[in-house]
Amino acid sequence: MTVIKDAVCSFCGSLCDDITVTVENNKITKIENACILGHSKFVGMLEHDRIETPMIRKDGELVSVSYEEAIEAAAKILVNSKRTLSYGWCSTSCETVSGAIQLAEETGSVIDSTANVCHGPTALSAQEKGSPSATLGEIKNRADVILFWGCNPVHAHPRHMARYSSFSKGLFTEKGRRGRKMIVLDVRKTDTAKLADKYVEIEQGSDLLLVTALRSIINGHGDVIPETVAGVPKAEILELTETLENAKFVCIFFGMGVTQSRSKYKNGDAMSSLISDLNQHTKAVMIGMRGHYNVTGFGQVATWETGFPMAIDFARGYPYYNPGETGANDLLVREEPGAAIIAAADPGAHFPQKAVRHLARIPVIQIDPYPNPTTELADVVFPAAVVGIEAEGTAYRMDAISLRMKKLIDSKFKTDEEIIKDLTEKVRELKRGA
Amino acid sequence: MSEILIKNASVCDPVQGINCETMDICIKDGKIVESVSSNAKVIDAEGRLTMAGGFDGHTHSAGKINVGRFINPNDARKNPVPGLSGQVARTEKTRAQVGYNTPNTYAIGYRYAKLGYTTICEAAIPLLAARHTHEEFKEIPILDKMGLSLFGSNWQVMEYIRDKEPEKLAAYVAWGLRASRGYGIKIVNPGGGEAWGWGKNVSGLYDPVPNFDVTPAEILMSLAEVNERLKLPHSVHVHCNNLGKPGNYATTIETMKLFEKIKLSRDRQALHVTHVQFNAYAGTSWRNFETGAPMVADYVNGADHLTFDLGQVIFGPAVTMTADGPVEYANARMLHEKWSNQDVELEDASGVVPLFYSPKSFVNAVQWAIGLELALLVKDPWKVMFTTDSPNGGSFVNYPEAFTYLMSAKRREEVISGFSNMALDRMVLPGIDRELDFYELAIMTRSTQSKMYSRPEKGNLKAGSDADIAIYDIIPGQIDPSTEYVKVKKAFSGAAYTLKDGEIVVKDGEIEATPKGRIYWVNAKVPSPIDSAMQKDIDIKFRKYYTVSKANYMVEDVYLQKPVEIATEGVF
Amino acid sequence: MQVVKLFLKEANKIPIEADNINPDNFAGKTEEEIKAILVWYGNGQYPFGDFFNVEVEGRDSVENTKLVFEGDVSRVKRIGQNMSAGEIEINGNVDMHCGFGMKGGKIIINGNADSWLGCEMTDGEIILNGNASYYVGSGYRGEACGMRGGKITINGNARDYLGEHMCGGEILVKGNVGLLPAISNNGGKIVIEGNATMPANEMKSGTVIIKGEVSDLLPSYKEEGTVEVEGVIYRKFVGDVNVGGKGVLLIKRT
Repeated sequence: MTVIKDAVCSFCGSLCDDITVTVENNKITKIENACILGHSKFVGMLEHDRIETPMIRKDGELVSVSYEEAIEAAAKILVNSKRTLSYGWCSTSCETVSGAIQLAEETGSVIDSTANVCHGPTALSAQEKGSPSATLGEIKNRADVILFWGCNPVHAHPRHMARYSSFSKGLFTEKGRRGRKMIVLDVRKTDTAKLADKYVEIEQGSDLLLVTALRSIINGHGDVIPETVAGVPKAEILELTETLENAKFVCIFFGMGVTQSRSKYKNGDAMSSLISDLNQHTKAVMIGMRGHYNVTGFGQVATWETGFPMAIDFARGYPYYNPGETGANDLLVREEPGAAIIAAADPGAHFPQKAVRHLARIPVIQIDPYPNPTTELADVVFPAAVVGIEAEGTAYRMDAISLRMKKLIDSKFKTDEEIIKDLTEKVRELKRGA
Repeated sequence: MSEILIKNASVCDPVQGINCETMDICIKDGKIVESVSSNAKVIDAEGRLTMAGGFDGHTHSAGKINVGRFINPNDARKNPVPGLSGQVARTEKTRAQVGYNTPNTYAIGYRYAKLGYTTICEAAIPLLAARHTHEEFKEIPILDKMGLSLFGSNWQVMEYIRDKEPEKLAAYVAWGLRASRGYGIKIVNPGGGEAWGWGKNVSGLYDPVPNFDVTPAEILMSLAEVNERLKLPHSVHVHCNNLGKPGNYATTIETMKLFEKIKLSRDRQALHVTHVQFNAYAGTSWRNFETGAPMVADYVNGADHLTFDLGQVIFGPAVTMTADGPVEYANARMLHEKWSNQDVELEDASGVVPLFYSPKSFVNAVQWAIGLELALLVKDPWKVMFTTDSPNGGSFVNYPEAFTYLMSAKRREEVISGFSNMALDRMVLPGIDRELDFYELAIMTRSTQSKMYSRPEKGNLKAGSDADIAIYDIIPGQIDPSTEYVKVKKAFSGAAYTLKDGEIVVKDGEIEATPKGRIYWVNAKVPSPIDSAMQKDIDIKFRKYYTVSKANYMVEDVYLQKPVEIATEGVF
Repeated sequence: MQVVKLFLKEANKIPIEADNINPDNFAGKTEEEIKAILVWYGNGQYPFGDFFNVEVEGRDSVENTKLVFEGDVSRVKRIGQNMSAGEIEINGNVDMHCGFGMKGGKIIINGNADSWLGCEMTDGEIILNGNASYYVGSGYRGEACGMRGGKITINGNARDYLGEHMCGGEILVKGNVGLLPAISNNGGKIVIEGNATMPANEMKSGTVIIKGEVSDLLPSYKEEGTVEVEGVIYRKFVGDVNVGGKGVLLIKRT
C-alpha cells in the first residue's frame, strides 16, 4: 500500500493540490480531500469503460489494430491533408500540448483548444484591455468583497470557495466567510447565489449594460444612468457600486455566463476596465473560472511557443491567429478541414450539428482514455493513459500557476505525450520518404 | 572530441586586456584551450572583430513576457527590424518565429544568437510561478540561462527582518533560490509589491510597508547582508523605489549610498542597480521633468561598490513588464493602455503595459537621452551593463542600433535633430562627445557581466572558458564607427559566426544549429538547525496562507535543462 | 485600360488566400504571368491559374487596371489586400478580409462579404451591394486602430462590431447592423440607416448617426438636446463618459 500526498486533482481549473491518494496493487483504493467531481475523476477509471486498444475504422467498423498500425494510419492522414484541424488538448499535460503544437507546425495544421467553446472570449478581452488579475491566494488572504458573475462554483468548482474564496481564511481575512461580503450576479438564482449575502439578478445577455452602468457611476457620471439597467433598479446598482468602492479588496470571479452571453468578449473587456476604474478607489482584480483543468495551460504553452493562446493556423509555416476565422468551429462550420486530430475533448458531443456533420465526413484521429461520441466519428483511435493519474505532467491553475501532476498508478496505455511523439516521428519519416 | 581553430581573429577581450589584437583561438570539446591538433576544423576569421559571446544580464525573456504576448497578439506581425522580428516560417533547422517585443521562445533564442549573444539572465522570477519560467527556458534554444528570484515584498522576508532573525532570513532566501532554481536576489520596488496588495505604494526608502512594520531601506540592507552571508555569485539586483517618477534620481542615489557600508564576502559589486534610465529623472512633475543622469553618474563615478545597467529606450513600440505593480497601473491609466496585473500571494506583484516611445514626445526623447547619458558620463565601463531592459525600453533586437548611439556622436546628433527644443533643454546629451570603442562596448556587453555574475567561464576568451564566441563582419582599424555606423549596425545585427560551446550556431547571420542551453542555479548551503527552524515557519505559511502545498511549490529537476548547480557555503 | 476577368474553375472549401491578387500585382502582366502567381491554399502554395481561368484585355498602369471576379468567390480571402489603386469588381459573394489594409482604388462587391471587410484600410472605397458579416472596417486582434481612412458603403445589413477601433474614414450602412457598432470609435464617422444595438461603446471621438431604432443604448452617454441634420431631427448624445469621450452619437427622434 502506498499513500501519495499532495497529489494534484486533474478535474477542474481549481487544480487542488492537497489530495491524498492510497494505492494498493496498482489500484486507487482511497481518495482524501477531493470534491465529488475530483473523486469521480480518480475513481472514474474503475467505473467507465476504457478504450482498450488502438483502433482503425475498416468498412465502417472500428477494429483493433497494433499501435504501430494506428500510428502509420494516423500519420498518413496528416501527411495527405491540406488543412488539418488539431483540437482539444485541455485535459492533458503541457508537455503534450507542446508536442501537439510542434506536430501542428510540421504539418501546417490549425491547432485550437476547448477554449473555443468556453473561455476563448476571455483571451480576446485581455487582448483589448489586458487582464488585471492575481493568484488565488491574494483573494484568500485579502479579499473582503467577492463577486461571482455568471459562474456557479458550487457545482463547477466545488472546493473553490473553501480553498480560495468565500469560506477561506487568510492573514487579513481571519474571520473567513463572516468577514467577507459575497455577491452573486446571474440570470437565475443558482446554488452559489443561495449562499451569497447579496444576489443581483440580471436580464439574460445584458452583462455589458450593467458593467457599463457600474463604470459610469464609479467614474462620476451616475447622472447618465436610467432608472433600470439590465433589469436592475438604479438604486440597487448604486448600492452595489458603493459596496465595491468601499471594499478593501475586491475580486470578481467570472464564468461562462459572462464569456458566452450576448456580447461575449466585450463583457470581459468592459469588466477589465471596471477593475481598472475600481482601482482608483480600492484594490480590485478579476479571475476567470476556467473549466477544464488545463485549459489555462494550453493557452500558456501555445502563447510562449507560437505567440498566441489558441486558434493558431500554421498553414504558411508560421503562426497566424484570428478567432472567428481560425477557431475550431469556424473551420468546421465552413467545412474547411480535410482531416482532424482530436485529443482529450469531445466535439462530437459539444459542437454544433453542422460542425459535427463535417467531422463525420473527414478522417478523424482521436486520442483519449475513454470512448465518447467523438469515437463514433473517428477513423483512428488511440487509447491513452489518464494524465494526472496514470501519467505525470504540468498543468496550469485558473490563475496561471503551474503545478506538477503526479503519476499515481501504472498503466498499460501510452501517454498522450508518447503518442504525439511517435506520431510526429512517423510523419517526419513519411515526409522524408515523399 | 571536436576541435576548432579560429584563425586571424581580431580579438577584443577586455577580461584579458586584449584590445583588437589579431590572434588564433583554439577550441576543444566546447572550451577554449591553449592549442589544438592539426585535425581541428579551421574557421578563418579574416581579421574580423571577435568577442566572447554576448551576455544579457537583465532581460524579460521567460515568464512574465508571456502575459505580454498574450495581451498583444498584434505584436506577432510587427517587423521593424527585418531579420530579427516578425513572422518567419519554420525551416528544417528552426521552429516558426513571430513577434518583435514579445517574440515566441524560439525566436528569442535564435535572435539573441544572431546578435552574437549566448547567455541571458531573466530579470524576475516570482517564486510561486518559477516553474513557469523554467518551462519557457526549456523552449528557448541555444542560450545559457539564469534568472533572479524576487524577494523584495515577501512576507516571510519582511517578518524575519521585522523580528530581527538574520540567520533564518538567510536560510529562507537560500531555500527560495532552491525552490525557484534562481541565481540571485532580485528586489523590485522594495515593499511596494506588498503595498500594491492594497492598491497602494511605498513612497521612498523610509516609508514603512503597510502591516509589516519594515521599511524599504531595511529590506534592502537585510537582503544585501543575506547576499553576502550566503556568498551568492551575484549581488542583490535592485529595481529602486519610485521608478518612473520625476525626481526619483534622489531615491536612486540614496539607495546606492545605503550599500556603501556592505562588507563583501566575495570579489564582486555589493549592489547592482537595474535599468537606471527609469530611475534617473529630475524635476518634480512631468511638466518640468528633466534628466537626472548627471547627478547619478556623478555619484557612480565616485563610488566603487556598485554596477548598473541602462534600460536604454528605443523609439517605437515597447512593452513594459515589471514586478512593480503600482507603476504598471499608473502607466496604464496615464497612457490609456491595456493593463495586465498579476499579484503573487505572499510574495510580490507584477504588471504588463504596452507603450510607444515617440521622438516627438519630449518625455520620451529625454528618456532616450538619459540612458545614453548614463553610459557616457560614467567613466568606468566596468560599472556599466548595456541593456534596454528588454522589452521595457525596447526589444533586444535593437541592441545593434543602440550600439551605434554609443559609438557615434554623429549618429546621436542625427536622432537628436528630430527633438523639440523643450526636449533639448531637459537633457545634457548634445554636449557629450564621448564615443565608445569596441573594447568599451565589449566590456558593457560581456566582460562586466562575467564579473558581476561571477561566471569566470563566460564573457571572455581565456583558456578554460566556454567557447561561446561571436565573430562580427567588421575589420577593426579599417572602420570608423563614428562615421560608419550603418556598417557597425549591420555587422552586429547578424554575426558572421556565433559559436556556443564550440558549436557553430550562427553563420553569416543565419541559424546553423540549435543546441540546448544550460540553466544555472544557486544552491546556498545553510546549517541544518537554522534551516529546520526556518522550515517550521514556512510550514505555517503554507498551511495557513499559500494556496499550494510546499511539496508542489518546489521546481522539480525535470524542468531544468542541462542544469548547472552553483554551490555556495553560507557563513553562519 | 487593362481588364482582367477571373473565373473560378471549381467551387472550393479550403479558402484560397488572395493577398497578392490586386491591381498592383496584375497591372502590366499577361495572362500567363498572372496564372503563375503563387497563392496559398491550405498548407501549400499553388499557381493562381490552377484555380482560376484568366482573361486579360489590354495592358495598363495600376490606376487603370480592373479585376473582375465573375461569380462566387466566397472562399477566396484577402482579395484586394493592400491595393493602392485600380478597381476590383466582384460579381458574387466574397470571403473574409476583402480590401484589408487597402490604400486606394475601389472595390465593388455585387454579393455578400464575409467578416473583416475593409479591415485597417487607410484610403480608397468599398461598395458592397449585399450584406456584410462581422468586423467591417475594424482592426486586427489587439490593435488599437482599425480603419483609418477611405469609405465603405454597405447597401445591405452588417453584423456585429462594425467599425471596431475605427480611427478615421467613413462607413455607411443602408440596412441594419448587429451588436456594438462603432465600438471604441476614435475619430471615424459611421452612418447607419437601419437599426443598431448598443452603439458606440467606449467611443473616444468621431460621429455615429443612427436613423433606425436603437436597442440597449449603453448607460454611458449624456443626452444634450437635439440637432437637425439635413432636415432630420436627432437626439444628441455625447460620450462615452467612461473614456472621457467627446464622440457624438445622433439617434433619430421618433
